Amino acid sequence: MAIDRRNLKVLANFCAAAADAMAFTLMRTAHSAFVKETEDFSCQVVTREGLAFASPRQFGAPWYSGIDYAPLIEMFNDYAEGDICITNDPYSGFVATHSPDIHIWKPVFHEGNLACFVVGHIHNTDVGGAVPASLSRSLTEIEQEGLRIPPVKLVQQGVLNQFVLSMMAANVRLPEQNIGDLHAQIASVNIGERKLKEIIARFGYEDFIDGVGQILDYAEAQTRAILARVPDGEYFFADYADEDSVGGKPCRVALTLRVNGDEVELDYTGSDPQLGSSLNMPTGGRKRHPLVMVGLTYVLYTLDNSLLLNAGTLRPARAVLPEGTIVNCERPAAVGMRSLTCAMTQIVTVGAFAQALPELMPAASPGGNAIMNVKTSARNGRPVMASIGPVGGGGGGTPICDGSDGAGGATGFLRNTPIEISEAEVPIRFLRYGLQPDTGAPGRYRGGLSAIMEFEVSAPETVVTARNRNRSIMPSWGLKGGHAGVVSRFIRNPGRSDETDLGNTDVVRCNPRDVIRVIGPGAGGYGDPFERPASAVLRDVRRGAVSLERARHDYGVAIVADEVDTDATAALRAEARPKSRIFTYGAERIAFETVWTQERYDLLTRFLADVPVGWRFFLKHRIFEAVAFLPAEDETPIDQQMGAIFREMRERYGL
Amino acid sequence: MSYRIGVDVGGSFTDFAVFDETNGRLATLKVFSRPDEPGAEITAGLTALKGRDGLDPAAVSYFTHGTTVGVNTVIQRNGHDLALFTTRNFEDVLRIARLKIPQIHNLYSVRPEPLIPRDRVFGITERTLATGEVLVTPEREDVGAAVDAARLAGCKGIVLAFLNAYRNPENERAVKAMIGKIAPELPVFSSAETWPIIREHERTITAVISGYVQPRVSRYLDRFETVLRQEGLACPLLITKSNGGVMGIDQARNDCVQMILSGTASGVIGAGYLARASGFDRILSLDIGGTSADVAVIIDGQPQYGVGELIGDFQIHIPSVSVSSVGQGGGSIAWVDPLGMLQVGPDSAGSTPGPACYGRGGTRATVTDAVVACNLVGHMPLGYGAVEVDHAAARAAIAPLAEALGSSVEAVAGDIINISVSGMYAEVSGLISRFGIDPRDFHLFAFGGAGAMLASFLARELDMKGVVVPPTPGVVSALGGLIADLKNDFIRTVYCDVTAEGLAAVASPYAALGAQAEDWLRNRQGFKGDARVKVLADMRYQGQSYEIEVPLEGAWLDAGDGAAVADAFHAEHARLFGHSSPTAPVQMVNLRLTISGATPKPALLPLAPAEAPATPRLEVDAWFDGRATTTPVYHRVDLRAGHRLDGPAIVAQDDTTTVVPPGFVVHVDTLGNLVITRREA
Repeated sequence: MAIDRRNLKVLANFCAAAADAMAFTLMRTAHSAFVKETEDFSCQVVTREGLAFASPRQFGAPWYSGIDYAPLIEMFNDYAEGDICITNDPYSGFVATHSPDIHIWKPVFHEGNLACFVVGHIHNTDVGGAVPASLSRSLTEIEQEGLRIPPVKLVQQGVLNQFVLSMMAANVRLPEQNIGDLHAQIASVNIGERKLKEIIARFGYEDFIDGVGQILDYAEAQTRAILARVPDGEYFFADYADEDSVGGKPCRVALTLRVNGDEVELDYTGSDPQLGSSLNMPTGGRKRHPLVMVGLTYVLYTLDNSLLLNAGTLRPARAVLPEGTIVNCERPAAVGMRSLTCAMTQIVTVGAFAQALPELMPAASPGGNAIMNVKTSARNGRPVMASIGPVGGGGGGTPICDGSDGAGGATGFLRNTPIEISEAEVPIRFLRYGLQPDTGAPGRYRGGLSAIMEFEVSAPETVVTARNRNRSIMPSWGLKGGHAGVVSRFIRNPGRSDETDLGNTDVVRCNPRDVIRVIGPGAGGYGDPFERPASAVLRDVRRGAVSLERARHDYGVAIVADEVDTDATAALRAEARPKSRIFTYGAERIAFETVWTQERYDLLTRFLADVPVGWRFFLKHRIFEAVAFLPAEDETPIDQQMGAIFREMRERYGL
Repeated sequence: MSYRIGVDVGGSFTDFAVFDETNGRLATLKVFSRPDEPGAEITAGLTALKGRDGLDPAAVSYFTHGTTVGVNTVIQRNGHDLALFTTRNFEDVLRIARLKIPQIHNLYSVRPEPLIPRDRVFGITERTLATGEVLVTPEREDVGAAVDAARLAGCKGIVLAFLNAYRNPENERAVKAMIGKIAPELPVFSSAETWPIIREHERTITAVISGYVQPRVSRYLDRFETVLRQEGLACPLLITKSNGGVMGIDQARNDCVQMILSGTASGVIGAGYLARASGFDRILSLDIGGTSADVAVIIDGQPQYGVGELIGDFQIHIPSVSVSSVGQGGGSIAWVDPLGMLQVGPDSAGSTPGPACYGRGGTRATVTDAVVACNLVGHMPLGYGAVEVDHAAARAAIAPLAEALGSSVEAVAGDIINISVSGMYAEVSGLISRFGIDPRDFHLFAFGGAGAMLASFLARELDMKGVVVPPTPGVVSALGGLIADLKNDFIRTVYCDVTAEGLAAVASPYAALGAQAEDWLRNRQGFKGDARVKVLADMRYQGQSYEIEVPLEGAWLDAGDGAAVADAFHAEHARLFGHSSPTAPVQMVNLRLTISGATPKPALLPLAPAEAPATPRLEVDAWFDGRATTTPVYHRVDLRAGHRLDGPAIVAQDDTTTVVPPGFVVHVDTLGNLVITRREA
């Protein structure tokens, strides 16, 4: 049946159904909570060349809709019916992006002709390596991050390669879970293959291939129509993760967005060099790598909710990813925590688009959703380890509504763990779980409130980790007069004499009766808070989202006896205020950028690009130290300051 | 003389199924629903039955009723003004929900506004631990202050949902008693009494929905009862439940959450009963109306049960017949998007203005209009005279789309049907994978006004065994209520390891559940026959974050036989997921008990055997897959058991039209079902 715009939707629905069937099968048969609760998996149908054209509509990680499996597919010269290939190695094709993500792909044939592939991944709880769960900021080489399976045929013409399974089982901490999940993945691609065979038979091989091309073309045309409405120009935006390593320096992700007609270029030049921690993103420099396109996907979908998400969606975009940087690291850089960096790429993408479309983009969602884990022991000594859920900030204020509370924007896809489940499983007692007042940055539309979690530990040698924590140093930004957010907090024993601010730490040891409090980073506000209707501020006060004091101070709304004092409010709101710029940054960022200006960063970027990759992270730190030593009232132009530092470095290290 | 009556009140129509116990005959009736004056449709229906069949209301011995009033209250958000009391420092449970936002790619996406705003949520200083131990006992002064604040805020009822109340409801009970003294006028809904499951959000939202719909539902039931008594009915009144059973009207008034999905559940029960009685063991029920298309999996007459069924924006966590929405039915609107692609939905013309061809103000092309434009329906008047099909209006509505696409009206109409069917295909396909079943073993059992119109197209795509259209597809829901058993669920969260020691702690909750269930059936429902008791447990491997439902034998619990319980779990896990870990430790989270008392079922009467081939009433040019095809139109009343009709064919009847595409064949079975299968090559 020839496919045209009258029946393209029929083919698209069938293909989406195949992807849904794969996802449901995976969720039904998988073993691990990562699949069942967190939904950290993907399933796709991709073209013979590797371009994703169908994904599950409601499930799975939201990053991979436009993935391109070409580098993996090209690893083998020939495929036979019944083959299934596997890899988790980030440095073999850059499709797997950290070692826990195990990807598999299976060819689908119709009467001997290759028609497409069915593919997918699961985030395994553990793949061995230096630390349980295989992920830690502190790791420095890919070899520490667990087992790496190079691309290999896991199943050859229907025959399972037992060696792959036994090698995996021998190298991981929870082999039953990994093997169980792998079987679920195999079941998932098998059901996908069966569905696709039915679909190809229904439409005919030639028309199927042609129709799939049209599905990709359709998504591309939708993207072009969206981009054509974005004003042409070059928009630069940068933001900083707290640290580039444990106890390190700020970690910068920079983006120059170039909009030209209905196309867009995302140039990440100016982002940090490859780091000696696991924050690096293995993209291989591929111009449509999913990790650097997530933010764009969110922006496009927000602008048009009817957008079909597939590889065609990304065709009008290309990324520039300089080698040896955090956005394109080289082996043996560790990559386990690339999700933290990926969150920053999403934030800078929204920031860059906000300059082009300030009326349509939201303020920053903070990123840095801490995944809380507790390792402790029960009264009988039995060791207990469990995830007790994410604690993060809300969604940034949007041009049409307040940000989502507790989680939102780019990190809204995670589910929490019920308190009652955690208390039944882990010998800790919760003191609080909810939303923290005054954490949503003020705005015409305020940021969503941050989550707060507080619990008491009952056993000695308890280790609490807050993986992926961020925004404890530089808060997220506000837009169009909306305020910047507040920083995240991690405190031991709040309100007691031994209260300890844990700063940017993500691991803390605790003893019985210690109390841990985590508050997610605040989301930015959108628009001038003085323009927020007083009734909305009153409602926030009544609902405990905003305190009386902040209502008065930030929103200029005086509330007396649970009602708005109209005259006092008018007087407050009449006071002159500094005119706001498009972005509002936190004081910490403003102070940092007084020293580390864009010019200084540009010079640093050029200098580091010239030295060997292995030296860059080391030199970045030495240069930061040198800059910190510059006299405060140094009047020398920045280029001369930096030139002197660079010369000194070259001499000292013989570069 | 004795009659049993089942009534289903839907958005547009109210259906009556009347079973005459003296001769075993089943009569049906359809009247307009009267949302403006609930109860009026009952009067109208009974009046019609008196006139038509000589029904004597005093001779009615049994009366069941299903209604969507509960679910509509949530969807329209016009329920009770409630306050929620939580454990202090956990007041945000409704706002955080399970954290995930509805649209994960949309930066504007926010969770739906809770049914109780945060300024009506009050923290109470109290605490129960996960072990059930009470750490902090609630104080009257603290509760009094919260009650005062709730009253001041205008709250008309209070929901209690304290942490770990599933394990020990003592604090909720204590606070309920205090409120009873302080503010006896305020109804209190306790989470542990409503449905005591672990997971604070799930338990809280279930109690909130129960309280939210309560006044509207009980007012509705009052009016309903008054009307029936005025009409002279003297028998007990029963209400259909979300779990596919029935309960007495007094329980329904207090325990509204139990009847919230009564309408959809009774349809599935009716379909299961009819299919089983006709010898179809594995079916997918397909109920398509003007605004909805629902599918359920039914095996051996038993529907699948689930928790977490969607009520408007929220999930409810009591055991319910699992029904999945697979589309928006005949009212979905077709349109051409800015890039020139033909699309169907998500906008719907609903029941008002409805499809263009119904001439009630609709002008945009709907799926129903497409079926009409293909000349597949509308050749004979519908018995109840509700709508008349205007072919010209249907074509006129599609004409602009055809023009935009450079194609004919009939071709585009065919495409609209295909897109609509492919959308349902996608949803059903997900459902099939979720339950792990093979559609090739299943019949599609079509009912509702539009089920039989589209079923063959859908079954064709899914490669199903066939389609079954029962004799009276319009009243399957009303019939479901009529044949449903008295049934109630009971639960205790036990949260124990499945070992001999762990199970020792289950013996006493198990005995308590049994006594509670017996009391419900015998004393509160006055049931005298044989009771059926099903014991179930929600179990999981230690460390798993979800449970599966495992049927158990009561004897295992009496004997504390941990091995038997664990084996049952491993076997069920393997059946559902294809794998099990026989050496891994197993936990039991909830122990559940379902008691039911069987009610008499109408016998299905055989249809007279055919003595001559069926003759069509007329022939029309109908469009199938883009081609005009001469197609005979039969009337259902002319068909007899043993008739065989080759597709293409159309079978019209009072309450629906069955469309049989080319390549299919219809057999009329001995009970009068139309059984449609692919013609053997």
